Amino acid sequence: MAKFLLFWLAALVAGTALGLGSAWVAVSQLSLGGRVTVGGWSTNLNTGAAAADPYTRAAVARDGLLALARSETIYFNRDADDGGALLDAKCTYRLAGADLPARWWSITLYDETQFLARNADGAHSLDATRMVRDGGRYMVTIGPERGDAVNWLSTRNAGPFSLTLRLYNPDPALRADPRRLPPLTVEKIACAEGA
Amino acid sequence: MAGLMRFLLGVLVIGALVHGAAVIAAPYGLMRVAMQRASSDGAAVNRFVFGGPVTPESRAIVRPSPDLLYASCVYDLTEGPLRIRVAPWDDYVSLSLYAANTDNYFTANDRVAAGAPIEIALVARGQPAPQGAGKVVISPSVRGIALERRLAPTPERVALAQEARETSVCEPWP
Repeated sequence: MAKFLLFWLAALVAGTALGLGSAWVAVSQLSLGGRVTVGGWSTNLNTGAAAADPYTRAAVARDGLLALARSETIYFNRDADDGGALLDAKCTYRLAGADLPARWWSITLYDETQFLARNADGAHSLDATRMVRDGGRYMVTIGPERGDAVNWLSTRNAGPFSLTLRLYNPDPALRADPRRLPPLTVEKIACAEGA
Repeated sequence: MAGLMRFLLGVLVIGALVHGAAVIAAPYGLMRVAMQRASSDGAAVNRFVFGGPVTPESRAIVRPSPDLLYASCVYDLTEGPLRIRVAPWDDYVSLSLYAANTDNYFTANDRVAAGAPIEIALVARGQPAPQGAGKVVISPSVRGIALERRLAPTPERVALAQEARETSVCEPWP
């Protein structure tokens, strides 16, 4: 009897670990249920939608709870540079792009806990109203120091960070197919010693 | 050998059940936590809580935008319908509704409202629409969150937005 109980207890523990572990991997690591990546930026076509499958719903609840559905806002995220290396607060990057096809848009930097990095630089986000352009194009320095940059997102205390691009009331073409996002590159410029 | 096979099979079956249950339950769990936080542990239900500007200390809901000013109303329709009104704004403002499973089942913005307040009656499934209601929205769950987003990317705009939203209302239908 004791052996029987032990047998099923072991199966229960192992099965629970397997179930939770695989659920975590499926939701956080795998590209399940409508995820689309364009130029290093990822979005989920089913964010907020009632038709979302359980995996999408769980992934969005984890990474973007209370996000708006695609008809209102498209969210893109990225945690890697153009070379595929994870974004790191010890490095400096240059983001380059042009105006985006939406009523309003913003680019916001989040720390590894998915909140604004703990610093007082006041440079967590840049939006369409504040971005300084040159001939319709803009460049943003993403790094721990502003230097002589006209547009700056601070990585101070951000650790391994990520970027969120919000497009509010996207143009119909982009709404129909988020793969039409214009290029928005993130190039690594330099890293501090020991990075 | 048969014992080992039985063990592995048991692990797989239990694993699959736990996997499915965890994936389905996770959004409900995260939403419940969000509702707890947004209502100060249930103290503020069926009324707007007007959030201040988003700072590094704003850690209730993941990935908040510092360019938006948020107001949230954790709702419970057990006692009857709610009236929700979002005051007008000269830039982007929206009312969005979220069910207990995180679905964003309704959104209206200033363009739809064309300068007027966004005003709805929120009822639970099976509840009659209140008399005199204009736009009636049916919530798929009894509990959920209503969110107001007001675009205010600078301190000057934040001050104006805070003034503008004073007439936003989330309350039991009078």
